[in-house]
Amino acid sequence: MTPDQAPDEQDLLAAEYALGLLTGEELSEARRLAVTDSAFAQSVTDWEIRMAALADDLVPEVPAPAVKMALLAKVFPAPRPKPLWERLWVWQATAAASLLVLVAAFVFDPGRAVLTTGPLYTAEIVADSGDFRVVAVIDKSTNEVFLTRTAGAAPEGRILQVWAHGPGEPAISVGLWPDGDTIRLPMPQTIAAVQGVLTLGVSEEPPGGSPTGSPSGRVFGTVDIAGVSSRS
Amino acid sequence: MKPLMTTEERDSIEALIARVALGDQSAFSRLYDATSGKLLAVCLRVLNERAAAEDAMQEVFVKVWNNADRYQVTGHSPMTWLITIARNTAIDRLRARKTDRDIADYSERLAAPGLTPEQSVVAASESRHVLRCLEELDSDRRAAITGAYLEGKSYKELSDQFDVPLNTMRTWLRRGLAALRECMSR
Repeated sequence: MTPDQAPDEQDLLAAEYALGLLTGEELSEARRLAVTDSAFAQSVTDWEIRMAALADDLVPEVPAPAVKMALLAKVFPAPRPKPLWERLWVWQATAAASLLVLVAAFVFDPGRAVLTTGPLYTAEIVADSGDFRVVAVIDKSTNEVFLTRTAGAAPEGRILQVWAHGPGEPAISVGLWPDGDTIRLPMPQTIAAVQGVLTLGVSEEPPGGSPTGSPSGRVFGTVDIAGVSSRS
Repeated sequence: MKPLMTTEERDSIEALIARVALGDQSAFSRLYDATSGKLLAVCLRVLNERAAAEDAMQEVFVKVWNNADRYQVTGHSPMTWLITIARNTAIDRLRARKTDRDIADYSERLAAPGLTPEQSVVAASESRHVLRCLEELDSDRRAAITGAYLEGKSYKELSDQFDVPLNTMRTWLRRGLAALRECMSR
């Protein structure tokens, strides 16, 4: 095979490669072309697309439920959300005390008839310079976020604003935090729907909130909360 | 001939793959629910044995989890991408030569210069004609092409099956492929 063979020959070589029919030198040559020659690579893809239509007539088969369970166990070695008391262990000493107070206030809220049943996620937002810290608890049973300021505040004449986004998405406002050490905010629908990594952040903004729809003042910090899901 | 899937299904599977690429576990679970039936059917068609097919399908989804970020650059439609991985994985297992057509090789190829998703749009619409076009082929050529794709047969095996010399077999099959391509593009 030579590089200047007819385009048709190249395309048939690509077809044979896609089907896995090549051996020896021709296979080596096809592999080389597949990574160096974009037209050849495209031909291989085109043949794969044509051939995949042969699966059109195949009737779907229902796999045994155990297959999915084994797969998920294999792919996601990370633990499921742990019970709250276990998760508290990961808290840094500086945050632990305030978190305990926070969670107690949260869980034993007199306005709440029963204890929360959905997953709880806890996280801390810390400014790089260390002058601002917020502890956050996300309650997926009600899709609320509960925040407590443990250090720092908005500058005089400014307020705090809470932001969140899912993977690869732009940050949207969760709500304003005009004053007080704690606040409970319902999560917007877009944020409540995030599965996987949920990013939470706090910025300082003019009274009334950011005029742009995105953080316009200093962003104190953000935190990525992994494995967020609605499963209890 | 019905298309592989409706536009809505295609978009939703594409969106799920995009979220899987970002490490979204729940999207992965839903992608499995939406596509495992078809991919198991592909593996079962190749391997002909349920336990082996389920095992191969599991490997397919592990590859999907690890390579979903490459989907966008391949130019496949979401389902043809998944079917291609399933078919190649099952054929690998059938031939017990895992290194030859592993996804490593596959993804190197996909990183080829100048390859953009737009370039395959024509072929995606062509693919709907494949079964009709196969029908137009001489029955032996049709059997040879499906034998290579769905049973992973080599030229040697095909030449034994049709009792013709190996070179004749190759000429036959290549003519069949050329005719298929011509039919699908018109």
